[in-house]
Amino acid sequence: MSASLTMEKPWQRWLIRFGVFVAMVILVVPGAWVVLTAFRPNIEILARPAVWIPHQLTLRNFQGIFGLLTTQPGLPVVQYFINSLVISVTSTVVALAIGMMGGYAFARYRFRGKGALFLGFMLSRTVPGVALSLPLFIVWARIGLIDTELGLIIVYLAINVPFTIWLTDGFFRQIPVDLSEAAQIDGCTRWQAFWRVEFPLARAGLASAAIFAFLTSWNEFALASQLSRTTASKTLPVGLLDFTAQFNVDWAGMSALAVLIIIPALVLTFVVQKQLIAGLTFGGVKG
Amino acid sequence: MKFLRSPRATPYLLLLPAIVVILAVVLVPLLVSFWTSFTGYTLTKPATLFQFVGLRNYQRLLGNADFWWAFARTIMFITIALNLELVLGLGLALLINKITWGQRTLRTIMMFPMMFSPILVGFQFKYLFNDAVGLVNNALFDLGLIHEPIAWLVEAGLANFSIIFAEMWMSTSVFAILLLAGLMALPKEPIEAARVDGCNAWQVFRHITLPFLMPFIYIALTIRSLDVARAYDMVKIMTNGGPAQRTELLWTLMTRVGYQNSQMGMANAMGYISIIVSIAFTVFYYRKLTSARAFMGGAQ
Amino acid sequence: MANVSLKKVVKRYGREEVVHGIDLEVAHNEFVVLVGPSGCGKSTTLRMVAGLEDISDGLIEIGGRVVNALPPRSRNISMVFQSYALYPHMTVRENLGFGLKIAKQSDSEIKKRVDEAADILGLEPYMERLPQHLSGGQRQRVAMGRAIVRNPDVFLFDEPLSNLDAKLRGQMRVEIKKLHQRVKTTVIYVTHDQVEAMTLADRIVIMRDGYVEQVGTPSDVFDRPANVFVAGFIGSPPMNLLDAVVASAGGRPVGRLIDGVDVPLPGDVAVREGQEIVIGFRPESFAPRGYSLHGAENSLAMTRPVLIAEPLGTETILFAELGGREVQGKMLNPRVVKAGETLEFTLDLARLHVFDKASGKSLRG
Ligand SMILES: Nc1ncnc2c1ncn2[C@@H]1O[C@H](COP(=O)(O)OP(=O)(O)OP(=O)(O)O)[C@@H](O)[C@H]1O
Ligand SMILES: [Mg+2]
Repeated sequence: MSASLTMEKPWQRWLIRFGVFVAMVILVVPGAWVVLTAFRPNIEILARPAVWIPHQLTLRNFQGIFGLLTTQPGLPVVQYFINSLVISVTSTVVALAIGMMGGYAFARYRFRGKGALFLGFMLSRTVPGVALSLPLFIVWARIGLIDTELGLIIVYLAINVPFTIWLTDGFFRQIPVDLSEAAQIDGCTRWQAFWRVEFPLARAGLASAAIFAFLTSWNEFALASQLSRTTASKTLPVGLLDFTAQFNVDWAGMSALAVLIIIPALVLTFVVQKQLIAGLTFGGVKG
Repeated sequence: MKFLRSPRATPYLLLLPAIVVILAVVLVPLLVSFWTSFTGYTLTKPATLFQFVGLRNYQRLLGNADFWWAFARTIMFITIALNLELVLGLGLALLINKITWGQRTLRTIMMFPMMFSPILVGFQFKYLFNDAVGLVNNALFDLGLIHEPIAWLVEAGLANFSIIFAEMWMSTSVFAILLLAGLMALPKEPIEAARVDGCNAWQVFRHITLPFLMPFIYIALTIRSLDVARAYDMVKIMTNGGPAQRTELLWTLMTRVGYQNSQMGMANAMGYISIIVSIAFTVFYYRKLTSARAFMGGAQ
Repeated sequence: MANVSLKKVVKRYGREEVVHGIDLEVAHNEFVVLVGPSGCGKSTTLRMVAGLEDISDGLIEIGGRVVNALPPRSRNISMVFQSYALYPHMTVRENLGFGLKIAKQSDSEIKKRVDEAADILGLEPYMERLPQHLSGGQRQRVAMGRAIVRNPDVFLFDEPLSNLDAKLRGQMRVEIKKLHQRVKTTVIYVTHDQVEAMTLADRIVIMRDGYVEQVGTPSDVFDRPANVFVAGFIGSPPMNLLDAVVASAGGRPVGRLIDGVDVPLPGDVAVREGQEIVIGFRPESFAPRGYSLHGAENSLAMTRPVLIAEPLGTETILFAELGGREVQGKMLNPRVVKAGETLEFTLDLARLHVFDKASGKSLRG
């Protein structure tokens, strides 16, 4: 597209740059403001008139939510963090395994009911989390899965499996069948051919599926808020709501917790952003 | 037993765990909720689970103004949000596509909102739009544009605007990223041929670029319609449907009815309606996607 | 001993039958080429031998052992794919050694055999490269190397040269031939290029629509095509085929062409008067007087204007009209001929092919 750029007049070029700049400001400022808030003392946050340039930065807000300050009771943030991590990682790993098997079946085999099954998986993904939370609450209560990590893990499995199937189906289809066949001629069983040839080639795609699954679980709120009750299974997003229960909204504390929630997602996403975009795009375009 | 060992069983065996999970977590609960939507089930009285009331929940819902308001607002919300996100995302993708320098960085910045949990987005904008300490009001004050705080999250119009704004902040980049990928995959020859044939920039966009992007547009719409209900999290923390139900969506209303009023039967009836709404949007865009693909010359 | 035999082999996809009961015997160390137009079932047949498709009906034996139920890895075969199917994440060395590694050979043994194959195919300079950094011809060599390293009983090739340009294809064809002379094994080779078939094969199997039309040595199928299809398929430029009706002229049977020309039929064909036949002759048998391959005794002379002349250097292809059709003739050691020039052509009657029009079968004994 560089050729077309030469056809623009300078003022058009500057208009384009200005437009992009405004868009980026809108995308960055809200998040950045929250991050900044997390490091500012409460007096500055509440100051009238507003203090734009911070005079001092502090870690007190983080100490506060971890309960390291005597002035206020802390939240079980550490426990929430552990819950979030355990639930997200476990459900991601298992969803990946299950989804990969399913995606492989769709990509490599012809069988009766294939189209209907695929549609069924995709439709199951359309059910809104809130709408699902009501009946799940009833069923999980009956079988004792309410307020357990296992209960949430299973739920997140079901949310992540269809999307993983969709992505991996696309990735496996990109790999020519010839390669698996060549491996079988070379002496592999179908199982060996999969692990030695198809799996290594799909690895980048699987990584992106894993990130999507992890982010979905890590960020999920609607179901977690109904299916967890105590520190036994509450996750960070649900923990964020603890603050609103208090009479005065603690903006600084909430911002600090928000930073805690966003950091792992941020790191993970930037590490693998290339695969992420590949995953987003071609699962659908070529699939 | 013999079937299970034959090669024909392999794909089914591979899919078995996935099927089991979906059955257990989606299908069975949905059947339960389907049943409860015909009962007067109240959380506090377990016996009511078997109190069959026929279509009474649905009848009541259909005769209830609150429900219809929430329903209409939800449809409006989805329609406005998806379309605005599409238009803005397309615009953003076209702009970035024109920029030759730093595209990768821009794309990275665009991924930023995608990592945010909807509940975080809600919190973030609850903070920004707060009348006392919010960034928006502070800025307007200091610029001398207002002298009284604006109650962004209280006044009906403004509150709904704020929610849509937050939703767009969260999801416009999904469109932008997908469409940018589409633009980058756009073959050069047709554009050059059109230029040679005397098309101007607009005509090239209208007749070459846009048709090529159509599948990407519908993929983006399909993906987004899949999880548009995640906006519940956002609304939950921003306004929770209030004040006085001014921002009530189907999703917030159903949790209120289900958990706070314990009327599970009624809530599940609403849940069913919201599921149908979601499926309708997804199926609509998915069908557009398949026809757009066929139009593009059967590229599978 | 690794002979391959196919007995009434059938392949069905769902209800559709694409290979209809093929019988074929491939002897030990024989080079057999399956040839035929696109979609005729060559690949399907080969893939059944490889074990990549299951066999709907019939038997396949390799070295006297029925392999119907055996997976590919237990058949001791190797295969070169049209796409080469090199493992993109492995270097050339790893690609070559993969099969041995799976078979749990020792590292030193793997190295020895890989180096040997690399030497045969001239792959040494590329051993540590990934396939994506190789040219088409080099990839093709790696694919062949991977096949020979394992020292299989049977080699299967599925159009291994069709992704190469014409020149490279010619070179590789020679190399494959040399390779077969060097590492003697049974080969089944699929192609739709009849030049490849003619030059490589000990025996050619010509297939159409899932049936075998003829099996024979290259000279068999060239000189004695069993039917009209084989006659038209083998040879380039293709054999001229003209509709005719049997009549008698001067007590001898002739084929009367549509334009009234009588072509005397050879004595060994069994025809009856009024029978509808197809007369075939190769361009080599239709040449201007003085420029033909085999003298001109027992030939039919006719004067025709040249429609088009295609000079190819050592020969010129001439187009003329006969029997209401355009036919091609071949002028050896040619002089310059211009379109529109009238020449006296001779049709070599000894090399005439005669087929029954209804059945398509050859009528020569
Ligand atoms: N999986 C399949 N399902 C249904 N029909 C198939 C399948 N694979 C091949 N066929 C059909 O079987 C027939 C033979 O196919 P095959 O690939 O053997 O042809 P071929 O002779 O190798 O052709 P080509 O020269 O084009 O490679 C074709 O008509 C094809 O459409
Ligand atoms: Mg083929």
